[in-house]
Amino acid sequence: MIFKRKRSTQDFDEEMRAHLALEADALKDEGVSDDEARRRARVAFGSVQIAHERFYLKSRVEWLDNLARDLKHAVRQLARHPGFTVTATLTLALGIGANTAIFTVIQSVLLAPLPYANPGRLALLETHWTDSGHTAPRMTGPDAVDVRTQAKDLEAVSLFDSGNEGVELRDHSTYTEVTFADENFARVFNLRPIAGRLFGDAESHHAALVSERFARDNFGGAQAALGQTMHIESEAVEIVGVVGNGFAFPGKTDVWEAFPLKPDSTSRTAFNYRAVALLAAGTSFKQAQAELDGLSQRLQTLYATDNRAKIIEAVPLGDALTGSARPTLMLLWGTVAIILLIACVNVTHLELVRAMERQRETAIAKALGASRWQVTRPVIMESLLLAAIGAAAGVLLAVPAVQVLVAMAPKELPRATEIHLNGWVLAFTVGIAALTALAASIFPALRAVKVEAADALKHDASRGMTRRGASTLRDSLVVAEVAATFVLALGAGLLMRSMAALMARDMGYQTRQLLVVDADAPAHTDADYVRVIQQFNGLFAELRAMPGVERAAGVMGLPTGAYGSNGYYNVRGGLPVDAAHQPYATFTVASPGYFGTMSIPFKHGRDFSNADTNQGQFVAIISESLARQSFGDSDPVGKQIQCGLDSVKWMTVIGVVGDVRQDSPADKPGPTLYMPMAQHPFYANQIHIVLRTRVAPLSIMNAVRARIVRTNPLIAMKFTTMDAMVNDSITEQRFRAVLISLFAGAGLLLAMLGVYGTTAYSVAQRTVEIGIRMAFGADRSVILSAILRHAAVLACIGIAVGLALSLLLVRLVASMLVDVRPIDPLSMGAAAAMLLLTAIAASSAPAWKATHVNPIETLRAE
Amino acid sequence: MNSDDRIALLQGTLDLLILKTLVMGPQHGQGIARSIQRQSEEVFFVDHGSLYLALQRLEERLWISAEWGVSENNRRARFYKLTKKGREHLVQKTSEWERLTRAMGLVLGGNAGIKEA
Repeated sequence: MIFKRKRSTQDFDEEMRAHLALEADALKDEGVSDDEARRRARVAFGSVQIAHERFYLKSRVEWLDNLARDLKHAVRQLARHPGFTVTATLTLALGIGANTAIFTVIQSVLLAPLPYANPGRLALLETHWTDSGHTAPRMTGPDAVDVRTQAKDLEAVSLFDSGNEGVELRDHSTYTEVTFADENFARVFNLRPIAGRLFGDAESHHAALVSERFARDNFGGAQAALGQTMHIESEAVEIVGVVGNGFAFPGKTDVWEAFPLKPDSTSRTAFNYRAVALLAAGTSFKQAQAELDGLSQRLQTLYATDNRAKIIEAVPLGDALTGSARPTLMLLWGTVAIILLIACVNVTHLELVRAMERQRETAIAKALGASRWQVTRPVIMESLLLAAIGAAAGVLLAVPAVQVLVAMAPKELPRATEIHLNGWVLAFTVGIAALTALAASIFPALRAVKVEAADALKHDASRGMTRRGASTLRDSLVVAEVAATFVLALGAGLLMRSMAALMARDMGYQTRQLLVVDADAPAHTDADYVRVIQQFNGLFAELRAMPGVERAAGVMGLPTGAYGSNGYYNVRGGLPVDAAHQPYATFTVASPGYFGTMSIPFKHGRDFSNADTNQGQFVAIISESLARQSFGDSDPVGKQIQCGLDSVKWMTVIGVVGDVRQDSPADKPGPTLYMPMAQHPFYANQIHIVLRTRVAPLSIMNAVRARIVRTNPLIAMKFTTMDAMVNDSITEQRFRAVLISLFAGAGLLLAMLGVYGTTAYSVAQRTVEIGIRMAFGADRSVILSAILRHAAVLACIGIAVGLALSLLLVRLVASMLVDVRPIDPLSMGAAAAMLLLTAIAASSAPAWKATHVNPIETLRAE
Repeated sequence: MNSDDRIALLQGTLDLLILKTLVMGPQHGQGIARSIQRQSEEVFFVDHGSLYLALQRLEERLWISAEWGVSENNRRARFYKLTKKGREHLVQKTSEWERLTRAMGLVLGGNAGIKEA
């Protein structure tokens, strides 16, 4: 035949009719009546119409037919092997569920476009220094104004800054995230209020927008909030508009207060602001950056000292917001990928066992002329079906897992409120499920192809002769699984040790039995600030007298707290200063008794006293690091120090105290400059009150609250404990360590299942062989140790491979380690020992069973 | 092997049964169906839809050829005939099958029992 002529449908129809006629004739010959014969012929044939259609749609129908048949077959097979099905499904559910959960977070945080208008055109402006390579996500006021007025590629530029502020309403105060933003803020984000209007530049410091939530919580509704007056940082501010709950930036801002387009700060070295910009339509970030580079160069020439090596950069807002979360999320993604790999290996092994059980069936099918595709199809089908069930179960697992993840996630996790399961995530799940199904069915399918018709007889599995190749393959699966688990266990070990190191670190103060009150007293005028100090001083004395309270003090700049300042300082009579490396310190403003309350050790000199007033000599206390950094071995007490916190007055050093870790246990103990509250009243109204208690700190919370309200009902307050604050400061590290440990535990469980399954299977296959050996007098312990040794050898090879892999991968987590070297013999030893023990434990049950084979019975069964 | 497996197997191997039937000479679809059913002592039930799909498939592989002719009771019908290629395929598969069944017979009929693993 040179060309293939397709048969016409008519031709086929005719054949069908002929068939029916022939069948009717045959039946008539058998003595069936005419009508009955025709009827039966039709019944036997099924509907002619259906046959017709089946012919017409031949290829498609055949495909569908086969699919339906294979699917039915697969369902039956799975139902008939519940042990296999349940194990494989749970394994896949775990692997796919973990991946779905982590991908949900990654998709929502890193991949989904920002929930603002024109998300692709929004930029955060940052300052970068080409000489030091340092980048700050902030801008100075004058630089930002230059960018706003000169950069053509930026349609709008807005300066803003935000922080937690006590907002005074008519009858109460509330702690709220407040953002100070200029009128361009609304242009950048294309903001449309749901009630009222936007504010203009002329209303700076007097008008504000509030969130729908804030309006509802404090005024009962959006309309009711309009026209109301609040006091923020001593300014009376009128609510002119309400923003819908769909908009949140930055963070969880509830109040946006108008801020002048011409910023208060005129220094090109004070990075007091953050800036967002909207790129002009059709402009790429590359183009915009080219323009900003030119502009930065001009500023460098104009302001040679202040703008030395300074480049202003436009970073896509999404990257700027989520960049910090990326390493942790990527680490988690890598971890769950390994889990999926382990799950895949386990399922491969399970399916391999199934394929071997099916060997005879496959051989017969082959003898009857089944093609390669026909014998591999059921294998793949079964795998696909398993993966589909596993994926469904995985998604069901992922839903609560995501909720737990979000609840556990550090506060700093950007876009946490946007995390939810969606179509993209489901598509990802379907994708990995299909991939898993294919990956897990490759080896069993290849095996089915290799089966020879005669194999069914030569290698009767029950006869105690196993194929060399089959056991090698299964052994290598165990090795792969152990290697992958080792990598996870080692990662978990390193992060857990880092976590333990953080928890055990000396903070430089005692965290236990410390109640912390975040207190914000309203102050509008200079007189207010002075009065607040007096109120606080009186309050501290009253609090000290309360039952259960040992000591009490106030501080602006509590370690791990929200407030604080830092900057350069100068000394007189100290060590020479290198102009390029000016001394830098944390600035803390404290009341008398602060060091005693915190148990920060006094090294030298005296504490602040009530005699250190605004009118007297300005004094300061320094930490040991600062003393060492600026005064070396000479006695700093009596020396002069100056800083730019709020005044240029020289202060006399009156004491030296121990260093503290300022931001978190991960921080190094560093130089701190302490100044008395009484001499820095503008930093003394928004403070932390710390109370060293004899009782459980939170048990006296209500009594303390009552005392503070009695002193000044307008003080906004929040209660916590120092332990909780320190704990919160390392949530990210904890989040990582706990999750990786959980995943490592899951990996270990899967590896255990894998080793158990392999050993149990090979022992079952060798029952006869073992029986014979025992009949010939082999010792029970010899057989037991042979099986256990085999498992141990596999585990050791796996550990060696895992070790090699982890040496390649360890640099990925190196930056997350604290007080632990990336190549840590202890973690490695622990991971190795754990895996070895797991492997031996997992194989001991089947091994035990094997040695209790009754030789006579085994042989009789033959 | 239970009945479920038998159906699945049979449908995969319908091709071989058709080829075998055609060894006796050209035959039309209805005749092939009847013949398979009769020869297998009614164990195999031939689904007619599948039968014609299989015939179509075999024709495409050039294992059988077809032409319209007249049946013994004077009805026009499409007759299928084994080609040289088809015969070769059948011989090869039959010998494989015979070796298998002989060995199976030896094992099953002999003194060795199949033991559950």
